[in-house]
Amino acid sequence: MSVESIIRFDNVTKKYDEDTIVLNNVSFELERGKFYTLLGPSGCGKTTILRLIAGFIEPTEGTILFNGKKINDVPANERKVNTVFQDYALFPHLNVFENIAFGLRIKKIKTDEMKKRVKEALAFVNLEGYENREISEMSGGQRQRVAIARAIVNDPEVILLDEPLSALDLKLRSEMQYELRDLQKRLGKTFIFVTHDQEEALAMSDEIFVLNNGEIQQSGTPLDIYDEPLNRFVADFIGESNIVPGIMIEDFVVEFTGKKFECVDAGLNPNENVDIVIRPEDLVLTTVEKGKLTVTVDTQLFRGVHYELSTYDKDGNEWLVHSTKKAEVGSSVGLDFVPENIHVMRLNETEEEFDARLESYGGSDNER
Amino acid sequence: MGKLSKLPKLYLAFVFIILYTPIFYLLYYSFNSGGTMSGFESFTFEHYAAVFEDTRLIMILINTIVVALLSALVSTAIGVLGAVTITFIRKKALRNAILSMNNILIVSPDVIIGASFLILFTLVGVKLGFASVLISHIAFSIPIVVIMVLPKLQEMSPSLIDAAIDLGASRRDVLTRVIIPFIKPGIFAGFFLALTYSLDDFAVTFFVTGNGFSTLSVEIYSMARAGVTLTINALSGLIFIVTLLLVFGYYAINRKSKNPFSGVRK
Repeated sequence: MSVESIIRFDNVTKKYDEDTIVLNNVSFELERGKFYTLLGPSGCGKTTILRLIAGFIEPTEGTILFNGKKINDVPANERKVNTVFQDYALFPHLNVFENIAFGLRIKKIKTDEMKKRVKEALAFVNLEGYENREISEMSGGQRQRVAIARAIVNDPEVILLDEPLSALDLKLRSEMQYELRDLQKRLGKTFIFVTHDQEEALAMSDEIFVLNNGEIQQSGTPLDIYDEPLNRFVADFIGESNIVPGIMIEDFVVEFTGKKFECVDAGLNPNENVDIVIRPEDLVLTTVEKGKLTVTVDTQLFRGVHYELSTYDKDGNEWLVHSTKKAEVGSSVGLDFVPENIHVMRLNETEEEFDARLESYGGSDNER
Repeated sequence: MGKLSKLPKLYLAFVFIILYTPIFYLLYYSFNSGGTMSGFESFTFEHYAAVFEDTRLIMILINTIVVALLSALVSTAIGVLGAVTITFIRKKALRNAILSMNNILIVSPDVIIGASFLILFTLVGVKLGFASVLISHIAFSIPIVVIMVLPKLQEMSPSLIDAAIDLGASRRDVLTRVIIPFIKPGIFAGFFLALTYSLDDFAVTFFVTGNGFSTLSVEIYSMARAGVTLTINALSGLIFIVTLLLVFGYYAINRKSKNPFSGVRK
């Protein structure tokens, strides 16, 4: 494929013993200079992928290529990859300067150049003048920056970040999201970021890989994944979703909750069973007469920007609605939506099949 | 820590008095010009002078210190490497087995260790003397060092080692630049404990000292059997003071090496 590819996984499987498969036949390709996120619940294999790239573990089967060369057997200390660890893994017996200079000292870089590079790295993470601080004197956010500086000072081609923001408080975390994204753009290096936080992934990434049970469920830009989740898992994991069963009557017509609706999906078999996804923010509160669906408001929560309403239709399906308008608990209301907001998911469809189907009917989904 | 009420305080005082009275009794009579441990006549340093005039005793003292320092150094080196190896054994059963074997050596009676060393040295043909004492002291100190170093190793996050390798460190770099600096307090603790164990060991040494070589504890024992002189009191007093200094030294070094970890947050 493209020359720009920096890391490629070909059918990589990782087992810890015969029965525990942590990564099942995973293949993907990463381009140089982009911000990638591996997103999934704990135990989905995202950290395993990171450790495979770093070289801390070896794949059981398959090939890992770095710049087109197989690196399965290359030890971690010879790879042009550096990691920012979840617990930062700063050396407590060394001060900030020595922590950052650790990699340079091992490579026997001359003192003058070493000092210059450490200074540059500190400037990159906005920690000028902190050279002589002890790690124990630094706050969580500062330690985070030192850990990043320690990785970038070695000028790696890829920087791996293993849930680096999970130990920070909410405000600091969103600040660091901006900073990390900005840092990646300034450095122009490939970042691979591991997280279980979907908001973090959506906010920062060029491309997201959604993982579950050791398999890649879906990959794509944040917008693609949010708007076109491939299956129940992705739809549920990324953002909040109303998922109901439905039947695809014919192209552009779908039936759910006993009614037929116009939609923008096609390429399925007539009368095929499907899952329907409508995002809570796409449902508009209206009167029963004007609404396409009639529901009863069960609970209402004030969320600051909007109200979160939990409503039920006559079949007992729950419909979550995000609305700036208030509703009365217990009252019947109508829900309105446009055809573009109905997302049809074929059961057990793979990513390749999904992409092929999109192309076959002109990819109207991409126009959004 | 809450304030202690009266009863526990009294109890503590009582325990310490019982523990320390014999030592101070001994020290007190080391200054007695009377020559016996009954009836204090007048204050004198003559017993201390006698210790320093006795060149044989001084030689034994030097032997004791040399054996203690050497055995502590060697056992610390071996013990630290052993502890690191034990920590990185992946198989849990094997690790626990080795650890149990280590701990058995600590709790097993000195007499048995001494006797078994005597049998071993006779079998192999090692001449009893300096070498046999040194080897046996190194042997019984290693498990102590391992036990002192292990908790520090377990405290260390495994990601520190990953981080070092990630930054290009070889196995050797990881050991010298990350692991050893991190466990330094444990190494010092192990060294000092090995030193004191060697200095005051009697049972093991008693079995493996041959003719012409002796350590203080064995010498004091034989002196006491021959008949009580106050030279023993003076010698014991000196050892007590040296031990006190060692303990203070240990705490001083330990506190110093801990400092960078508990620095005040600004």
